[in-house]
Amino acid sequence: MSRQERLLWSMASIGLAVFLVIAVAKVSEIRLVSPIFLPPPQRIWAALVKGLTMGNFGAMFLATVRHMVVGLTLAACLGIGLGAMIGTSASARAYLMPTLEFLRPFPSSAIIPVTIAFFGLTETMMLAVIAFGSFWPILMATIHGFSTVEPRLEDVSRALGLSRQSAMMKIALPHAMPDILGGMRIGLTMALVLATVGEMLTGRNGLGQTILLAARSFRTADLYAGIILLGVIGFASMLIFDRVERRLLRWRS
Amino acid sequence: MPGQLRTHPWQPRPVAEARAAADPVIAASGVSLDLGGTAVLSDIDLAVARGEVVCIVGASGCGKTSLLRLLAGLLRPTAGEVSYQGNPVRRPRSDIAFVFQDYGKALLPWRNAAQNVSLALEAIGVPKPARAKRIEELLVKVGLAGHAAKLPRELSGGMQQRLQIARCLAQEPSVLLMDEPFGALDAMTRQALQDETLAIAAASHASIVFVTHDLDEAIYLGDRVLGLAGSPGRISETVPVHLPRPRDQLTTRENPEFVRLRRALHDFIGTVERDRRAQ
Amino acid sequence: MRGAPRLLPFDWRGLVLPVGFLLAIELIATMSTIERDAFAAPSAVLAAAARTLSSGVTLKAAGETVITAGAGLLLGLVIGLLVGIPLGLFRRADLLMMVPLESLRPVPPVALIPLSLLIFGFGYRMEIAVVAFAVVGPIFLFTRSAIRGIDPQLMEVSHALGLGFLAQVTKIVLPAILPRIFVAFRIALGIALVVAVTVEITANPLGLGYRMTIAQQSLQPDLMFALLLWIGLLGWSLNALLVRAEARLFGAAA
Repeated sequence: MSRQERLLWSMASIGLAVFLVIAVAKVSEIRLVSPIFLPPPQRIWAALVKGLTMGNFGAMFLATVRHMVVGLTLAACLGIGLGAMIGTSASARAYLMPTLEFLRPFPSSAIIPVTIAFFGLTETMMLAVIAFGSFWPILMATIHGFSTVEPRLEDVSRALGLSRQSAMMKIALPHAMPDILGGMRIGLTMALVLATVGEMLTGRNGLGQTILLAARSFRTADLYAGIILLGVIGFASMLIFDRVERRLLRWRS
Repeated sequence: MPGQLRTHPWQPRPVAEARAAADPVIAASGVSLDLGGTAVLSDIDLAVARGEVVCIVGASGCGKTSLLRLLAGLLRPTAGEVSYQGNPVRRPRSDIAFVFQDYGKALLPWRNAAQNVSLALEAIGVPKPARAKRIEELLVKVGLAGHAAKLPRELSGGMQQRLQIARCLAQEPSVLLMDEPFGALDAMTRQALQDETLAIAAASHASIVFVTHDLDEAIYLGDRVLGLAGSPGRISETVPVHLPRPRDQLTTRENPEFVRLRRALHDFIGTVERDRRAQ
Repeated sequence: MRGAPRLLPFDWRGLVLPVGFLLAIELIATMSTIERDAFAAPSAVLAAAARTLSSGVTLKAAGETVITAGAGLLLGLVIGLLVGIPLGLFRRADLLMMVPLESLRPVPPVALIPLSLLIFGFGYRMEIAVVAFAVVGPIFLFTRSAIRGIDPQLMEVSHALGLGFLAQVTKIVLPAILPRIFVAFRIALGIALVVAVTVEITANPLGLGYRMTIAQQSLQPDLMFALLLWIGLLGWSLNALLVRAEARLFGAAA
């Protein structure tokens, strides 16, 4: 398929999206589906604009982002740090990997009641949950990355007489970077999910709280607006992450 | 006695060997190696003089690479000792450089050519301001001037191997250990790199221990050719090479002495094969 | 196993940490007077786990979770296949649907919980809807890439045989992608369980997640941890079952 044809169909795709929005507006207008469940897009847009300009949507948006970023940063520091240490030590792996593999399939959201039991419905509890959920994939990916360094590069590192720290920073870390970034991508998704859930449960500031309250008081337009904003966070964070990943892994073909 | 250097009966004891025995740069004495329960090498005696090129040939799996890794300090012998300028080698040293056959895996793919060479300089502690100049000189020396900013995957096979050699030279080694470095390259690139290696060695007076399965290459490059054979591997043949230097791809290879040496080595390989099949 | 001294015929090093940890917790629990709201001795947890099993609570709650997760999984599987197969086969259709589908992708499934609650109220339907939404994305992506990965010669053969479209799909395409769909199914099952438990913890009063929340709120940490254990066991055993089935059905093809 030629480049022009590809472009044509992509344009058509935008057209399709517009058509669908208009269709939804129609469906809502003729009350095929109750506007309580599916408000007309104009009303959703109005709610979005109003919430951002006069309401607290902006603050809630930032609050969710902040929860994600703090939790993810914590998870990354711990995950990469521990992962590097465990990945480079065969004996550490022998002691720890069975336990880690056993804990891996546990759903991180199941840890929420436990965290509430320990920390109560607080900000700390939420950050602990986010960090825990994101930490796991980052840790496992980092361990994998550091434990599968090309053996020839290990030879080179020894032949050159690199110190253990030097070898880790100059050879193991760049080599493990693709794996680490893969784990961070999953961690990013988890951070958004757990931030939303945490806000819903604790009632603390954030879009999770916004949409739950909107649902409870049947303010459906606000609800959809909140969902859209969450989608925007998801979209933007992935975009930024892709950019960063591409830059860091420029050396790959 | 098994393992002793065996020379052709009508040759006088070669001068190079005498010199090496007297004041070797790097030497192995009575070295044996067991890996994973199997005896790989047995009773190896080897001495390399300053500026000497010693080539090691032998069938695959006879322990050539292991011997080289022993000399580099990447492996410890089960018996005997490897010594460098009289002192025992317990771990790799910066003045013994190793050139690996799989250059693709031995270079850092995320660093460009200049940065790859820089790795060696960083390892030996050259301060940052001094590095750029040395890197440039080394890249020129191996013929990679102008490719400094290229990543390894953007370089051809021959150029990658040159880059690895440049990195090794950055260590300013007195001994260059090369493990079938040109085996994965085409014939023309191989010949060019052979000559470049000889030129570099001559200029820096470094000693070279060169492992190859290509008999012609061994004779072309070497002052001596050692034949490794058997399982466990032993040095069962030593062939001194008295060909004039500098070597030339055309005239040296047509030299009747070259032809005679080639036949001698072929006979050696033939005997080894026969013995092996007989077992 | 070069490092460990040969005391036992298997690598015992992996057990040191968990066994040591559990023993330590047990000791602390029995000896100290730490707040018992959040803390439970492993022995108490095991006792609670046995109790829930014998009283039938485990089975009932696990059943609720599994049924909702399973129903949502199946729904998501069907939709994912129905969308993924045509879009995988026809590049043009894929490009056409790109903008609408990509707009849906970034929305985290948990964001749909309040919406689902609004539409369906508490109960099974609400949870099934959220699970289905969570699973559709991965299934669709897997299906599409599995289709793209079919050996083009296989498709040529089907053209040459003059098979109609439906016959092509059922006789050639589906069997070719079946192993990869099974892998996708296994992964989606994990997602389905996690999402189901999340919905139960957050909003919906049924299943193991809900029971865990109740246990936490009524300050019964031993019960809470016991339920956590059951959740983990459920996920692990279902995954193990599927891995076994995968190996049996597909062997080297998977």
